[in-house]
Amino acid sequence: MSGLGHSRRRLLVVSGAGFGAAALTGCALFGGDPEPPKAPDPLQPLLDEAVALAAAYDRVTVTQPGLSGRLAPLADDHRAHAAELARVIGAALPSAPAPGGSEPAASQANAAVTDLRKAEQAAQKTATAACRQAPGERVALVGSIAACRATHVEALR
Amino acid sequence: MNEQLTAALAAEEAAIYAYGVIGVNFDSDGDRTEARSAEQAHRQRRDYLVTTLTDPPASPAGYELPFPVTDRADALRLAIQVEDGVAQAWRPVLPVTTNADRGTALAAMVDAAVRATRWRRSAGVTPVTLPFPGRPQS
Repeated sequence: MSGLGHSRRRLLVVSGAGFGAAALTGCALFGGDPEPPKAPDPLQPLLDEAVALAAAYDRVTVTQPGLSGRLAPLADDHRAHAAELARVIGAALPSAPAPGGSEPAASQANAAVTDLRKAEQAAQKTATAACRQAPGERVALVGSIAACRATHVEALR
Repeated sequence: MNEQLTAALAAEEAAIYAYGVIGVNFDSDGDRTEARSAEQAHRQRRDYLVTTLTDPPASPAGYELPFPVTDRADALRLAIQVEDGVAQAWRPVLPVTTNADRGTALAAMVDAAVRATRWRRSAGVTPVTLPFPGRPQS
């Protein structure tokens, strides 16, 4: 009796292992060849940038509250861009800042503003390039965002 | 495309006229230099449009200012309004152009928006930026 029990259990174990192996193989098979991912929307980088920029302004105003009057409206502009881009793309509005964004060197107000200005210059370039490629129904929005980022560079001068 | 370019031309010509009025209401060298260089920029855009349009309309003989301009504050207010208007006139050019022409339209819109921000700062207007320069304001 006990021998039979053992062998049955072993059988179960073995088949369990076999099942596991099959499942693993299946995983590897499908994992290695995933469904072709949907190409990201060409405006996704603009959206990510808008969210990251708004967060960068917020971080600076936390450490430099004296700059809030000057910086808060600029952060609001980026939030307005993010909302509009998310609507156009049909994407959920990312609530958290993009990970891996560099912290501004906010120990000094001047350094913080200089960093924000550099980020705005880079963002203006992204938007200008996107404007060149954008289809007719999106280009006006992208152009306005490029222009707004240019005015931010000026406002931080 | 001609319709949009013609509207941009009308805005540029109105800007050139306005800067004449704006300039005489400025006292400081800084303001005047800024106004002169803005006027020059608008003349260049005007020339571009005149050469690009197949049949450019003649410029109007005169303009009516949106409000009387008699001092620096009025002049700054007019400058802001003019640059916002120029940006609004160029924005509809974007969807009807490609490549270099679109690049020119964007540059014209961006430059106008940046000048509007500078004038807002000179006038002490806050915020100094608009979220969507060129979008018609309600």
